[in-house]
Amino acid sequence: MTNPLTTYAGADLGREVCRGQITLTQGEIDRFCGLMGYDSTQYQGVAPTSMCLAFGLRLGWEAQVFPRGVIRVGDENTYGVPARAGDVLVTTLVITDRFERKGRRFLTYQMDTTNPAGQQVCRVKFTAIIPAGAA
Amino acid sequence: MTPSITVSQAMIDAYAAISGDFNPVHVDPEFAAGTPFGQTIAHGCIPMEPIFQLVQGRLGVAVLPQGTGMTLRYLRPCHPGDTIEIVVKADGPEEGMAFQCVNQRGEAVIEGVVRLAQGGAG
Repeated sequence: MTNPLTTYAGADLGREVCRGQITLTQGEIDRFCGLMGYDSTQYQGVAPTSMCLAFGLRLGWEAQVFPRGVIRVGDENTYGVPARAGDVLVTTLVITDRFERKGRRFLTYQMDTTNPAGQQVCRVKFTAIIPAGAA
Repeated sequence: MTPSITVSQAMIDAYAAISGDFNPVHVDPEFAAGTPFGQTIAHGCIPMEPIFQLVQGRLGVAVLPQGTGMTLRYLRPCHPGDTIEIVVKADGPEEGMAFQCVNQRGEAVIEGVVRLAQGGAG
């Protein structure tokens, strides 16, 4: 069942929709480095900055926040301290805006990831087109 | 050397596993064929990857400096088989580094600006 707080009509702007945590492993960092062409010897214990983009996405999909077929149109991202192997990273997801343009509906999602010291690892804020058939 | 990335369906599938983003427009060719895209599209994070590598390479660092900001607009989809390169459009301490992620046909897939906490990216 769809969480009403994640729908276009029901989104309570600014309210936390979900929160999740992951423990980042060196194995995950190695896999990401291999995929994106990084020299993994430079990333022993620390994740490439771009890997941080995946943390909020993972939460949003696992918590079924993003509707099937959603299309991302723009980002405003901020990168903080590096994520490190062994970090327990906490990510929160908030819907910050909704609007319609040319008959299309848009939602803006903001995902903040922090490390165990409470330092910001990244803020990923993206706007997406909500598919016509989605709630 | 300008960083680039060549996208494959295997890469998209692997990124789906890392990010948990199994949106069918990325991983289901049959579903994607019925969308306006006509085929699968890469996650937006894949074609933007070279900008991270360009800035980190210029700075000689493994990760972006704390406080780096990035604004992006996705202009057109990136498909399996595309090769994406970065074109720097402007760079300065005030405006940051304006860039485009361009495919092998010279079409801009993403445009954006990188701003380091202390100024320009280059």
